Amino acid sequence: MGKRLLLSLVLSSALAATWAHAADKAVIQVMHQGDPGFVAAYGKVAERFEAANPDVDIQFIYAPHDAYNEKFSAAVVAKQLPDVMELDAPFLANYVWSGYLQPIKPLIDKDLLDDMTASNIAQGTYPIDKDLYAIGLTDSSVVLYGNKKYLEAIGARIPKSVDDVWTREEFETYLEKLSKLDGVKWPIDTFRGYGIKTEWITYAYGPILQSAGCDLIDRKAWKSESTLDSDACVDALAMMQKWVKNGWVVPQSAGTNQFFAEGNPAALALGGHWVYAEAVAAMKDNIVVLPLPKFGAKGASPDGTWIWAITKTSKHPDIAAKFISFLLKDKEYRAYVASQSGYPGLKSFAAESPLYANGGPMAIAFEQASKTAVARPPHPAYPTITSAFMQAVDEVFNGGDPKEALTSAAKKIDEDIADNDGYPPFGDQQ
Amino acid sequence: MSDIALSIPRARAAQSFSATRVLRLIQVTCIFIIALVIVSPLLLLVVASLKDDRFQILADMGSFRAFWVSIPTLSNYAEVGHLSGELAFGRYLINSLIILITTVCSGLIVNSMAGFVLAWGSLRGRAVILSIVIALYVIPQESIIMPLVIMVSRAGMADTFAVQIVPWVASPLYIFLFYQFFSQLPKELLEAAEIDGASFFRAYRSIFLPLSLPALATVSILMGIETWNQYLWPILVTQTDYARPIAVAIATFFGQDSIYWDRAMAASVLMMIPILGLYLAFQRWFVSSFIGSAVKG
Repeated sequence: MGKRLLLSLVLSSALAATWAHAADKAVIQVMHQGDPGFVAAYGKVAERFEAANPDVDIQFIYAPHDAYNEKFSAAVVAKQLPDVMELDAPFLANYVWSGYLQPIKPLIDKDLLDDMTASNIAQGTYPIDKDLYAIGLTDSSVVLYGNKKYLEAIGARIPKSVDDVWTREEFETYLEKLSKLDGVKWPIDTFRGYGIKTEWITYAYGPILQSAGCDLIDRKAWKSESTLDSDACVDALAMMQKWVKNGWVVPQSAGTNQFFAEGNPAALALGGHWVYAEAVAAMKDNIVVLPLPKFGAKGASPDGTWIWAITKTSKHPDIAAKFISFLLKDKEYRAYVASQSGYPGLKSFAAESPLYANGGPMAIAFEQASKTAVARPPHPAYPTITSAFMQAVDEVFNGGDPKEALTSAAKKIDEDIADNDGYPPFGDQQ
Repeated sequence: MSDIALSIPRARAAQSFSATRVLRLIQVTCIFIIALVIVSPLLLLVVASLKDDRFQILADMGSFRAFWVSIPTLSNYAEVGHLSGELAFGRYLINSLIILITTVCSGLIVNSMAGFVLAWGSLRGRAVILSIVIALYVIPQESIIMPLVIMVSRAGMADTFAVQIVPWVASPLYIFLFYQFFSQLPKELLEAAEIDGASFFRAYRSIFLPLSLPALATVSILMGIETWNQYLWPILVTQTDYARPIAVAIATFFGQDSIYWDRAMAASVLMMIPILGLYLAFQRWFVSSFIGSAVKG
């Protein structure tokens, strides 16, 4: 009996000690999205961080890409915001305006802040107070991938830099020629397969409108009517509708890789920088990377990607920032991102990425960042802007009238802004 | 009777027999084609899960190659099985099974009890309650999902198995299904039970419930499929892999930049097996329930 009692006491003490030790640990919750490769990479970084900081427990909250915003909304209403959250850069203004994020400049390692590229700083900066709220290892861009054999067969001119891009006329002429070429099922893959549940349409097609001389919203007056439904935008969207009607564009049902799929059914691809790794693996040297064409007087290309921020509700912002700094400096994580053709957002990472260096196969993508990149509107109404625009594009691609669809989208955007009294102080800046 | 007179009816009989055979052949062919069309997505899923190249899967879409694999491999299944940590599919599969079994079992008890009370109970305002139950069915889940998130998080249920079970146990549809089934049974059964001294609950448990196998099977299958395929709700109310179901885990294969069709297909096949098992286990009663519904006027 005495032995049993002693044993119970020892066990209880051991359990209590373990529990107390676990309770002593600072728990940092990290909400993120990503494919299996990235999920695994984050897990390994956390293991290394915990080994270096035994008093910290990193807990991941995975939210699938297509339901990320819903998960975030649920976390907000349930008052369960994580300490660290990954967010899509164009949504930053909305989150900061809503009071969810805190400035990170005083928290993140200074050497990392000094290492950020201009576009990385831009994507993490809130335009009202010009403060930095998020940081990432990467940024992004979209280029025009071309099948070398097909382009040579139609005698297409190959641009060497962003200053030398195809004009709208050249581009459409090549599409028509490619449509008649043996082996080409579709002249271009615009990755419609991503659907309208992701940011793809606004991210990749928005710059076509901007290049054509208009925008999703007037960035001074913060009004969409007379801008999104202007003649230039209607003309640009009608042009894209014509490509679809002519059967030049890979349909949504065909998935997202017809450029580098077996038999190369698509001759061109308006694809993100991330497509490169898969395309080059499938096509070897039969691939050329071209800057985005000019659809009007100027060139335009997208930027912005998923970056890391610290929420205002975090009880341990210092540890949260320490984890972000650790993640962005982690050598193995960087090597993995580089292997996925990650677009550099830190100067040191650019130096580790020969793909984007001068003379590198994706150098043109990096050149676009400084010459033609146009960020998506950094406004709290962005969730409405992107949703309205995506619906309009989807409607037009399915045969709808471009003017009607864009007018309806512009109205929706302006109504949302009016409903929120102009999202002050945004409206007060004029 | 002459030979000619005899041969005419024989010829007619042979002609009619041959016409019947042709008609049957056409019927069988049509049924076979329809069955093939219905089964084809399933076949495509299984075949794609046996291909070792995710790009090949997409390249084959839209042609008959989608239904053929020259060198089948189980590597996708192995990869899904080997994923660990946050991607440990075994864990998610077990979570899904726990949620499925608990929800369906509790759902059968709660909904059948409610249906029985509405059909034969003596409580006042049964008709009004029934109307409310039917009215609740038309409220879309999306419209109540955020208030429900607030409720369960305030109740401290976030990231538990309970949060994925409790809100979905009682369902207007299944209560109505049970109500309809019980109300079609003869009232004499209840009266006989009461004469024998059985309580209302005893009559439900010992007489009406055993007679409701088709309704139980139908609700089990429908509720099972609904629970198994829950996607948005678990994302909203769970944080970690502790109680998350497999539908959420499969979503990792649909990344921002690329879709891992090969592994997604293998995981989907694995996800399909338990629900297929549930259907096969109950299909005899499930089918008889539908036949019964059709026969009764």
